Amino acid sequence: MLRRDFIKTAMAGTALGVLGPAARANASTDILWMTWENLAKDDYLAAFLDRHDISITKTFIGTDDEQFAKLRAGGASSVDLITPGLDKVEYYTASDLLQPIDFDKVPNAALLYETFNATSLGKVDGETYGIPFYWGINPIVYRADLMDEEPDWSVFFEGDAYNGKLAMRDYALEGIMIAAMYLGIPETEMFDMDDKQLAEIKKVLMIQKSKLRTYWNSIGDLTNLFATGEVVCAFSWVPPYYDLKAKGIEMGMAKPKQGVIGWCDTIAVPKDVSGARLDATFELINYLLGPDYGKMLAVGGPYAQSTSAARDLLSEEEQDKIFIKDLSVMDNFVWKQNPARYNDWVALWNEVKAS
Amino acid sequence: MRRSILSVGDWLALPVVAALIALCCAPLLILLAYSFFQVDFVTISYDLTLANYAKIAGSETYRGLIARAFGSAFLVVTLTAVIGYPVAWFVAKRVHAAKSTLLTLLLVPLYSGDLIRIFAWRVLLGAEGAINRSLMWLGVIDEPFSGLLFSPLATHIALTYNYLPFMVIGLWLAFESLDDRWLEAAADLGAPAPARFLRVILPLTVPGLVAGGLMVFVMVAGDYLTPQLLGGASGITIISAINDLFGTAFDWPLGSAIAWTMLSILMVCFGLGALAIRRSSLVAEDV
Repeated sequence: MLRRDFIKTAMAGTALGVLGPAARANASTDILWMTWENLAKDDYLAAFLDRHDISITKTFIGTDDEQFAKLRAGGASSVDLITPGLDKVEYYTASDLLQPIDFDKVPNAALLYETFNATSLGKVDGETYGIPFYWGINPIVYRADLMDEEPDWSVFFEGDAYNGKLAMRDYALEGIMIAAMYLGIPETEMFDMDDKQLAEIKKVLMIQKSKLRTYWNSIGDLTNLFATGEVVCAFSWVPPYYDLKAKGIEMGMAKPKQGVIGWCDTIAVPKDVSGARLDATFELINYLLGPDYGKMLAVGGPYAQSTSAARDLLSEEEQDKIFIKDLSVMDNFVWKQNPARYNDWVALWNEVKAS
Repeated sequence: MRRSILSVGDWLALPVVAALIALCCAPLLILLAYSFFQVDFVTISYDLTLANYAKIAGSETYRGLIARAFGSAFLVVTLTAVIGYPVAWFVAKRVHAAKSTLLTLLLVPLYSGDLIRIFAWRVLLGAEGAINRSLMWLGVIDEPFSGLLFSPLATHIALTYNYLPFMVIGLWLAFESLDDRWLEAAADLGAPAPARFLRVILPLTVPGLVAGGLMVFVMVAGDYLTPQLLGGASGITIISAINDLFGTAFDWPLGSAIAWTMLSILMVCFGLGALAIRRSSLVAEDV
């Protein structure tokens, strides 16, 4: 390449870099979305930005708790859209941080799967404050080449074949839910357990701890532990299953009959958003629940949207990957909820880990 | 002419002092205030109470974790002192031309991030790591020894490695300022080597030992990443418990109370350290 051509190319690149965001900033309304990085990829949002005179500024969160802390500390006035977990919406509504969703402005919400319409989570007095957005399951992932049979939750509490080869997420809510499912405590009682039930939970969690290699904190770390063979079976998120399968490792994913933990994130609008920004925010919410975004999320995530908008646009394989080929899978789900005595749960979890 | 109470230097230092107070002390004071509040779900009750401190005193878990943090810090200070003392002496007294090179080499691991160092230890200590592979190749073991990684042993090896440079730097400065003529005089007066060490070298290098020790102590007591990623199922620390309380449980008051309990103990340690340095200075004057 001639020096002059190189300079031209470099200048064109620089101009695009500088003028691209400037053009966005010139859109009539800019909305700020606080969300997970994997939900706000440029290609996921390109169709929306092309069709609307709206720009989106993204601010990324590392944890749900961090998002709540930011809003609670006074950040709500500058944010137009947030992404709390379905079980965490209660925190925001109790702190009077959100406004109800105006369903008239979100037509795609009519396509919500029935389980999300029926849930009482994210609602106060019949009004929806956090609209289910995307969801998935947290299954057991295991090295199929190193385990004899498909495990269920009992692998973390019984037998000694895999002692020192198991891993559990370091998260009180899910750790205690799993122990409750193992003990057969029904979902109706699970989030409001009494002292006696919590004592039973503690007893089995102590047994579990003696069998663990480690508690994991990041999914990348767990993937690494599977790959090196340090861990053969873990309560996990889905990504290590696909990531390691793609690398040629024989992986398995188990959805125990005792119950599978389902998770769902919502989109919610802070209380003070109003006028043109509010209208633009509802436009974005409608897009996020619509077919274009849903397909991108299913293929790129792979994650399932909470509406059926994109379902028919996906191949059977793609549907299967995000658990929407056979929707009866939801019947076995135990959705995460906010326990009445969550501080006691966290204290119990720390007692077990410190023992 | 009457002189101003504050000199030009004082005025210049004022913004820095003000920034320090605003950025360092104010958040700590807010934390202290929170430690006397209570939380009900997500609502902070501002009625003053000592309930959080009573909860810490009455909780075997929190007491144990605090004791574990300081026990671990003390162990690592001891290990880094034992390893760092001869290293610092060698660099200060036996190396001349390559002194700066050696000191730079000592600091090289610090140029990489915490996570990189931790994962490097995983590569070494893991079931398929270099140590296990070497031992198997040598025929010492038949199958990988899993107790190396995800254990208190792994945690303390990595902590010692991570914080050794801070101890060495403190000690090196002390050795650099140690006048060799004291040792010659002691030898001329017939003091044997152990006596020269105990009555001359050690008292004169105590300030470096205490300064390095305090640095290492504070950093180890506050390190939660290394125990979390290398300590396995027993890798919980008081810092990660505080993190759980602030984040997951939204119990900022209890988290603040634990943080201030830790801070208070650290202040006592600093006080004792300062006292040790003061006493050693008096000894040096006597020498």
